[in-house]
Amino acid sequence: MMLARVADSLYWVGRYVERAEHLSRLSAVMLNATLDRTEAGAQAAQLARASIGDPEAASLSDPFNAARALVLDRDLGGSVVVSLAGARENARQVRDQITTETWERLNLLYLRATAGQAERDFDANAPDFLQGIIADLHLFKGAADATMSHGEGWRFMLIGVHLERAQLIARLLRVCFSGAQGRVLDDHLALVSILRMACALEPYLRAYTADLHPRYILEFLLFDEDFPRSIRYSTALMEEHLTHISKGREIGRGDPLRLAGRLNARLTYTDVEDVESTGASAILNSVEAECSAIHQAMYETFVAYPLETRLPA
Amino acid sequence: MVEIRIKAEAPPVMGRPDDYPLGLAYDEMFARSGETRPHYQLLHTRIQTLGALELADRQQTLERSFLLQGITFTVYGGGEAAGERIIPTDLFPRILPATEWAKIEKGLIQRLKALNLFLADIYGEQKIIADRVVPRDLILGAPSYRRQMQHLYVPHNAYVNVCGSDLIRGEDGEFFVLEDNLRVPSGVSYMLANREAARRTFPGTFRQAGVKPVERYPDLLLATLKSMAGDWRPNPQVVVLTPGVYNSAYYEHAYLARLMGVPLVEGRDLAVHDDLVYMRTTSGLRRVDVIYRRVDDDFVDPLSFRRDSSLGVAGMFNAYRAGNVVICNAPGTGVADDKAVYAYVPSIIKYYLDEDAILPNVKTYLCRDPVELSHVLANLDKFVVKAVGASGGYGMLVGPHATVAEREAFAEALKADPENYIAQPTIQLSTAPCLVDGRIEPRHVDLRPFILSGEKVVVTPGALTRVALKRGSLVVNSSQGGGSKDTWVLSDDGHTLPDLPDADGADAESAL
Repeated sequence: MMLARVADSLYWVGRYVERAEHLSRLSAVMLNATLDRTEAGAQAAQLARASIGDPEAASLSDPFNAARALVLDRDLGGSVVVSLAGARENARQVRDQITTETWERLNLLYLRATAGQAERDFDANAPDFLQGIIADLHLFKGAADATMSHGEGWRFMLIGVHLERAQLIARLLRVCFSGAQGRVLDDHLALVSILRMACALEPYLRAYTADLHPRYILEFLLFDEDFPRSIRYSTALMEEHLTHISKGREIGRGDPLRLAGRLNARLTYTDVEDVESTGASAILNSVEAECSAIHQAMYETFVAYPLETRLPA
Repeated sequence: MVEIRIKAEAPPVMGRPDDYPLGLAYDEMFARSGETRPHYQLLHTRIQTLGALELADRQQTLERSFLLQGITFTVYGGGEAAGERIIPTDLFPRILPATEWAKIEKGLIQRLKALNLFLADIYGEQKIIADRVVPRDLILGAPSYRRQMQHLYVPHNAYVNVCGSDLIRGEDGEFFVLEDNLRVPSGVSYMLANREAARRTFPGTFRQAGVKPVERYPDLLLATLKSMAGDWRPNPQVVVLTPGVYNSAYYEHAYLARLMGVPLVEGRDLAVHDDLVYMRTTSGLRRVDVIYRRVDDDFVDPLSFRRDSSLGVAGMFNAYRAGNVVICNAPGTGVADDKAVYAYVPSIIKYYLDEDAILPNVKTYLCRDPVELSHVLANLDKFVVKAVGASGGYGMLVGPHATVAEREAFAEALKADPENYIAQPTIQLSTAPCLVDGRIEPRHVDLRPFILSGEKVVVTPGALTRVALKRGSLVVNSSQGGGSKDTWVLSDDGHTLPDLPDADGADAESAL
């Protein structure tokens, strides 16, 4: 049992934290890729921007300033600082629900990223700055895992993390592999960058060796059972957490647990041959749509339900 | 070698009296003769072994820990986090000997018992008015008198469950009650956070001094709140009601909820159905029994009080009237901490308990009385004049510190609406040593202890000591540039100095 508003805030803490981490990583990869001044580097930078819905991605001229805005621009919805501020503001509203250790991690990170010094630090050594943010976010998640009770609130937060993650990875894959960019991606360096953006390079190499191929990358990031950033893994966790918080509740039509379970089943029993025959965009689009549906269903089931339906007997 | 170096870089050490100018006020640490008071010996000895750098370092660590924990208050008018600040906190504790505290404790309990009886009376039979101890219009005409509360059953007659009284120490060392805060007193989180910090700043001294613990406040508060629920509700659901994250005391609301382990709710989390109060949880609606509200009376329920409020819950007051929920503190307690009613508190204590007040009031002139008004107007440069309804250091004139023009303007306001003002002689609040810009200087302080009243009345042995950080200023409110420091209540007055004055050594205390 917990307050509906609190559950909602914790869910958003999870989403914002994941978004901040993903964007920091995209920016880091983007900066790194453009160092080489190769075609592949520029391409990777474009893909990164496109995957977060930037319409001007194609005309990207100055990757450094683009990355800088993505990280530090307070007026750019979805930038890293805006996401961190969102996470912290939500956490502040449920300060009584999260442990001091967890809160202090997030608060410190926020204070550092918004300090006057942050811009100087970024300009001086952007990769270091971004690494610092990513490492701090890992510390936040670690502190949450190690100190928070693994009850309902923690589960709501993790549902937020995994829903956001599944959506972001699906969007990244769609931009890269659905042919929307008008050409087939097969450049080795570009593929390395994509794996880096999903924090998947090393686990991929261990599973598939250095044989980089779009087909394997799709398979790994969509269907891998153990990799924590594959869509299937995130979906399985969403289903698991939803199962726990739905105990004793009647599971009706359109229930978030049903939606998540269905998506998980689909990802478990589909394989990459099926994807290739129908085109990647079909499954990736439906992953994004299903995630939105789960988000909406959660809100209606746990947060904004009509009073009359839920009076105690 | 090391020993000598420490002493060499120790300019701020108090080599009384040149470095530490004693004024008219009573100083907490030094007697007028220049002797260190016995209960301060230990701390004084310790401070003298620390150099300026060491002190500055500890002060900085202290402030950083507050910022990191998010112990901030919101300054109105700023956007997002731009308006968040920490309350300045001083690293030296203020120390009270056991005997003095024993008297304060007795006095506070006596006072709150009388005030609760007074509230039960004026919302009930009104005997005290019929007996002409307090004037009828002063009570029934006060905007803070809530007619809605008349003839309403309040368990244990505990209208005020949480009280934070402001005490000051006059020039002769005597404690006075300056103000009773009976509505939604705040500051208790600073008492707890300051203690947490002081334990780390002076661990050795803390251990040797034998300080009474304040850490039980949250569970005593919970027990007090639970005692307000009916016996027929075996495991009452307590919640803390906050106006929300934009309230300046939000940190405190969240802090108390977390330490009590109860939900922190906002108005939108609650709903009333059939005179029962529910909170919206992820698994449906759940009944609420006790609401520790940190929302003003006016905003509790738009149906009963202010209609345009969205901070409270429609129908909550009716649920309260029906006995299905308890609101703590009860609405309408403000009438008893009104600055004009304050003048009558000694008579109120006499009337209900047939005892003399243990803690005296500050002599108060009611400007509603023409004779007293003319006396105040003639001596405006000696008085502190306060608006009856205001708080937080707003709407007041400190006569001796005001300019002639300010006094004249205030005199006009006084003549126009004398009922709205009271006057008190300017009291030199006692001073305590504070670290200001790298030097140790005396600053004026007050004392806000917290008293809980439910089935029983208990006083937590500690308090929030507020500090007027501006030199010479007598206004300690945080909204007016005040700070705070920890308050140590000693468990006995033996004051034995340790055999080795340096027993807790620099190492033990600098480890942080």
